[in-house]
Amino acid sequence: MNRPDDASDQQLDDFDFAILDGIRAIFEQIDPMPADLPERVRFSLALRGLETEVARLVTEEDSRLAAARGTEQSRTVTFDSASLSVIIRIEESKNGSVRIDGWLAPPQRRDIELETSAETLRVASDDAGRFAFGQVPRGVARLVVVGAAERDQSGGGPTVVTPALVL
Amino acid sequence: MMDDSRSVTAPPGRADRTARMADLLDAARGGSEDALGQITAELSPMLWHVARAAGLGADDAGDVVQTVWERLLSHLADIRVPQALVSWLVVTAKHEAWRMRSHGRRQFPADQEWLTAIPDHATGTEEQILIDEQQRALWRAVGRLSAPCQALLRIIAFVPRPDYQSVSAALGMPVGSIGPTRGRCLEKIRVLLADERGGS
Repeated sequence: MNRPDDASDQQLDDFDFAILDGIRAIFEQIDPMPADLPERVRFSLALRGLETEVARLVTEEDSRLAAARGTEQSRTVTFDSASLSVIIRIEESKNGSVRIDGWLAPPQRRDIELETSAETLRVASDDAGRFAFGQVPRGVARLVVVGAAERDQSGGGPTVVTPALVL
Repeated sequence: MMDDSRSVTAPPGRADRTARMADLLDAARGGSEDALGQITAELSPMLWHVARAAGLGADDAGDVVQTVWERLLSHLADIRVPQALVSWLVVTAKHEAWRMRSHGRRQFPADQEWLTAIPDHATGTEEQILIDEQQRALWRAVGRLSAPCQALLRIIAFVPRPDYQSVSAALGMPVGSIGPTRGRCLEKIRVLLADERGGS
């Protein structure tokens, strides 16, 4: 089926292009990309060092059980990178902020940062890999597990960043 | 360089665009956040529609777009020409969308797989948004295509024209004929469109 001509779209005529342009225009109207997506992308790409691992979002579970109790709503999100996994539970507080409880697997002591659009919050995980941010403003944020040199039994490894999350 | 005497169908500006993307890629590889920002601004809508055409919900589609750009950062050095960039992005987005679905993050009824690409087609709400009668006829014709054709044309419609060839190759369709599936889909919609115009 190989043809000698090298320009594949030579077989598409103006009508084909008009159809494709028309389909594009329709989808731009009925299902446009969310307006805030480019900002989220810019945010997540900014300040990314070369020696950084990007964790992938693996699972996300909404828990409506808490909501059924009439208190708050939570969701659990798991990220994997080559060197570790990060599991976080995000809970809405009554005062409008968000609480984040997290675990690193394998368990290890690391500095953890939460970059929000306003500020960077810093905590550290304990021996069991647990960490918590008590009060986080709503909005876009991402977690950074700060890189650490290998030291005694507490582990260490490259910086790991998660994709930006909407809290 | 492009031989303009032969490529009579080339719309003006495509060589410019290719050159501009090549410059942006070079600058991005050199660490320019501004260049990277221009590339992501220009091509994020395409990735959004690839993810949505794969049947993902809005949140998941947004995550796919973000993940693809993050992965690009690790692959910038491997991508030498702009054509490779666009096809790499499309294929990676399809792969990420597939990966996300296979992890079952969100649940879809199986038969809504492709309908998500064209939400609630039967209700006619989209048709009301489209004021232009020509657009409505095209939309009805799209709705009568098979689901894979709907998804395929949706993706191709957002691919920059100079990249059709490399994208069609990357999607596993023969270069030269642009691929039997795509050819069939376009052929089909032309018939349906003639039908819409003649029959109503």
